[in-house]
Amino acid sequence: MKKMSCLLVFFCSFPVLLAAQIGIYQHGTVVRMHMGDCVSAHRGFMVAFGGPAMPASEDVCPEYTLVSPKVVYVIVGKFSNQLIPLAESIDFRLHNNELAVRVDDARHESKFMIKEMIVRSEWDRVQRHIQEAMNTSENRKAERVDEQ
Amino acid sequence: MALFAPSHTSVIPKHEEILRLLIQNADPYVIPPFYLGLKFPGMVLMLNQIKRLMSPMLLLACISFNPFLLGSPLPGSEQASNFTYHSNVSEVRLVFFAKDEHNRPIQELQKDDFAVIDDDAVIRNFRSFNRSPLTKLDVVLLIDSSESVLAQFKQEIAEVQRMISEAPWSPEDNLSILTFSGVEAHILCAINCRGSFLPDQLASLPAEGTTPLFDALEVATNLLTQRRQPDAWPVIIVFSDGDDTISKSSFRDALREIQMNEAQVYAVDVNRPGRQSNGTAMLQRFAIDSGGRWVGMGQGSAEIFQEVIDDLHSAHVVTYPLPDSNSEFHSIRILPTHNLKLQFRCRRGYYHHSSTHKKEEGL
Repeated sequence: MKKMSCLLVFFCSFPVLLAAQIGIYQHGTVVRMHMGDCVSAHRGFMVAFGGPAMPASEDVCPEYTLVSPKVVYVIVGKFSNQLIPLAESIDFRLHNNELAVRVDDARHESKFMIKEMIVRSEWDRVQRHIQEAMNTSENRKAERVDEQ
Repeated sequence: MALFAPSHTSVIPKHEEILRLLIQNADPYVIPPFYLGLKFPGMVLMLNQIKRLMSPMLLLACISFNPFLLGSPLPGSEQASNFTYHSNVSEVRLVFFAKDEHNRPIQELQKDDFAVIDDDAVIRNFRSFNRSPLTKLDVVLLIDSSESVLAQFKQEIAEVQRMISEAPWSPEDNLSILTFSGVEAHILCAINCRGSFLPDQLASLPAEGTTPLFDALEVATNLLTQRRQPDAWPVIIVFSDGDDTISKSSFRDALREIQMNEAQVYAVDVNRPGRQSNGTAMLQRFAIDSGGRWVGMGQGSAEIFQEVIDDLHSAHVVTYPLPDSNSEFHSIRILPTHNLKLQFRCRRGYYHHSSTHKKEEGL
């Protein structure tokens, strides 16, 4: 029985350990997080052209913006309390159209749906633009206050 | 003359350039002795020898002429001292509570164990992180004495009396008691109720009239704000069924007032356990959004007060630069960076008035 459970644990943790050893994990940083609508796993062609829509779930799921050196991912959890550790650097890999994040120092992975992907340089450009727009807006407000 | 070899001449302009920059940009009275020596070209080439002999003398000379060390006023320093430098520091100061997987306060929490989510932005770089300097309580006890709590009123009063007389209050703690029914809140006693309050006053309270809960919460918040002290923790303990029937203020107004004034609400729900009502949901929102707690009256007053005391002793304070946001209200949440079993509790947000460019900080 003991051997069986040892084997079971080994096989369960094998993909994670293997992935860690091969070094296929990428590194990234979560820079934004908010609770948004849960993305249905069945969203797509069949839902759009199929029969009457299922009643929308009112659940909220965590949505993270994960910045890696080349690509920025917006990922969504599958349930409301699917959290990932918000350390400076987290390990993740792409697996079957999902993004698997290593949680608790390789004990297990947590899988997230990918909502958006954007090239890092493009994302940086958009962020700069947003920052400039906010600075301009702040300056205008300050000028208005000074005038008053 | 052999001393002026090409190899040396190339060095002189370099040093002189440094000297020129130093003289231009720095206060001449604090130029290091080494560069004072370089100012005279004749001394430059014998620098190593001179340094050994002259350095102590130069250092002494510099100290002698240094106005900062002598304390003697310099020409123009009077003018300089008339300047006052102002700087607007936009900083968020957040009090929070951390517990482990066994629901015990964490004593050894580190700066890198958590991240703050401020309006979606993940913040890990904090300006400061400390144990909270709050040492005493400033409590306003709000007692719902409206008709809607008539059935549970005796028990409510008994719990309040027990909390006042038996809870482990510290001698420095303040306690004020307010009741609310009819159209407004009434102050039974202020600040030092533990010493002056007579239990008969509570026992003789009638339970009648409508429920101005939101107005009463605003009155309690204003009372705490008026006598705010840096080391006192403003707490509202409200015994109610949560069903407001008459307030002039709305739920949002009351919550906004609480959040802007950094008070924490501990809501004691007098509704029957297991019965989910609108009032229960209201009380839960007040408690959770202010960083406090919601408990059922069945838990007992000792338990409720112990929760407050535990929070007071386990609170941490973190500060960080105000993140950019277009909205006046910033939502906040604290999440772990490594151990997902850690639980963090804090107020759900704060207000920042960007139009004035001043930070209205929230806790």
